[in-house]
Amino acid sequence: MRGIRILCLLAMVSLVLTPLAALQTSTTPASGPPAKAEVKAGAKPAAAPEAKPAGKPAATKAPVKRTEPVVPAYSDIKQRSAVIVFYVWLWFSIAVLVYFLLQWVKEADRVYKAKYYEPEESPRKGNPMAPALGE
Amino acid sequence: MKIDLKKFAAWFDDRLALTPIFKYMTKKEIPQHEHSLWYYTGSSILLFLVIQIVTGIMLAFYYKPTLEGANDSIARIMTEMPLGWLVRSIHSWSATFMIAFVMIHMIAIMLTKSYRKPREATWMTGMMLIVVSMIFGFTGYLLPWDDLSLSATKVGTNIPAAIPVVGKWVTQFLRGGDDVTGDTLTRFFIFHVCILPLVIFAILIVHILLVQKEGMSVPLKDEIAKKTVPALPFWPNFVLREVIIWLLLLGTLLTVSLLLAPSLGPSADLLAPAPKGVKPEWYFLFLFQTLKIFPGNIGPVTGEFVAVVIILVGILGIFFVPFLDNKPETIKGRLFTYLTYFGVIYAIVFSIWSLL
Amino acid sequence: MKINNAYFTRRKFLNSLLGGWLGAVVVSFISPIVKFVWPPYKEPDEVKLAVADYAGMKPDEVKTFAWGNKPGIIRRTKDAGFIAWVGVCTHLDCNVTWVPDKEMFYCACHLGWYDKNGVNVSGPPPRPLRRLDVSVEGEDLFVRKPEAGAKA
Repeated sequence: MRGIRILCLLAMVSLVLTPLAALQTSTTPASGPPAKAEVKAGAKPAAAPEAKPAGKPAATKAPVKRTEPVVPAYSDIKQRSAVIVFYVWLWFSIAVLVYFLLQWVKEADRVYKAKYYEPEESPRKGNPMAPALGE
Repeated sequence: MKIDLKKFAAWFDDRLALTPIFKYMTKKEIPQHEHSLWYYTGSSILLFLVIQIVTGIMLAFYYKPTLEGANDSIARIMTEMPLGWLVRSIHSWSATFMIAFVMIHMIAIMLTKSYRKPREATWMTGMMLIVVSMIFGFTGYLLPWDDLSLSATKVGTNIPAAIPVVGKWVTQFLRGGDDVTGDTLTRFFIFHVCILPLVIFAILIVHILLVQKEGMSVPLKDEIAKKTVPALPFWPNFVLREVIIWLLLLGTLLTVSLLLAPSLGPSADLLAPAPKGVKPEWYFLFLFQTLKIFPGNIGPVTGEFVAVVIILVGILGIFFVPFLDNKPETIKGRLFTYLTYFGVIYAIVFSIWSLL
Repeated sequence: MKINNAYFTRRKFLNSLLGGWLGAVVVSFISPIVKFVWPPYKEPDEVKLAVADYAGMKPDEVKTFAWGNKPGIIRRTKDAGFIAWVGVCTHLDCNVTWVPDKEMFYCACHLGWYDKNGVNVSGPPPRPLRRLDVSVEGEDLFVRKPEAGAKA
């Protein structure tokens, strides 16, 4: 029994980590700002945030005033794949969760119809599925 | 060391006495009939509101509400912060979803006439919530400070000026002066993150408490026939179904945010001419078009004044509809149902017309 | 596997499966939020300056530059080279200042003193100032993080 529980836990953890890993690698900003900062009291740092840091911007930022709109776009295939992986995982998780929830709904309706639980008699806190006897 | 949850819960219960709340949640019942699908709209609005608050706080960490810094700070969020573009996208789309569901909720209530006695106060607080939500959208729209949002704000804050006597003061209050400036931006930011959240929380608490107190309404014909409608307990049956709906909505929101992330125009120039295609957010389009169809002058007053008066009368009419539609089971009730259909068609047609 | 009586029932198993998956989804949503709210800002690996600004420095003259968000300190040595440090006190991160009369660095927060080579000599600072490598390449003066091992 304990082994099965541990296996389920491991499966779930790996299911979470895979798309997370896919997302993290493409969305962490490059280490620090591109570090070639012109330094002097007056000069503005020529900050050209390369499209790599975070997400999928493809903007080229003019040093003083931006004249181009910032359009979110993929900058490499890895980001695009990461987003697709996340998208698939999201809907798969929702499907799984909705399936389980529908089972739970059926059970709750069955329990209610069988008058197994009378609202006036026993207010239930916490897990409504735990039967009153044993467990 | 085993942690005894029951003792833990009992400690809180001794001091906070929360058991009555849990008891109520199990006792509360949701009627099941052909229109019970609309019961889910209320909690969906709550879901989107919570998402707005969370993403809004995250954005507000890095947003700079000044004329010089606003647009660039959003560009920074979108390009430098991890998944910043996604946070902004979710915030923008969740606003659309929330107001869409607010409209659906309102129309459902109007068609099922759930505003009738004893739920008039719930309806009126609900109308106040709609107005606050739309002001949320309006103030938020300016914050990126690009050409489109600046022009839309100029037009929008000019409309109250058409109200007689107080109009000019209202416009000056909204703008922080006679014109839209950096002060307007800071002012709108404070409206958006401080004043309006407090207002909406206050009204929302009253609204939700009223809903709990009055219970869920049943359709008019069942009430007339005095039929007992089968019902489900709120906890756990209805809540589980709500969670399913929330998950599906969350998935849809994330999908749309990922695939259709908004872009950001360059920073607005206060002196530049208005750009082409100025339009407000979609939920204001029908009002915008209504204003446009009135001619410049009607007799001694401006067309805008007439339009504003008509719109205000309409809003007041909807606000007081529980009192106007006081005999919902008669022909008068039918009239109001047809008026609702007419209102919906008018809003949709005018919105589409304004885009053409 | 048929068990006549069990403490861990099928119902509990399914419940934990649902709860566990729900928890996993929640964690996966929380993690990007956490990353967003705790942005991983690092110091620059190198900073490029114009030699012209620093070429005219006399021996033992000290100038400052921007090392990311922190102040950097450059001192001209007697053999016309440069030494650079991160001008942040190693005690509690206050910015240090150069006191020309004493030819020492002073941290005003808790009266810490460093000598002209950045070594902590008095007060609470536990370590010398962090050294940075300076190299002149043509018209550019590069200040870099020291190679691994030489970092203070």
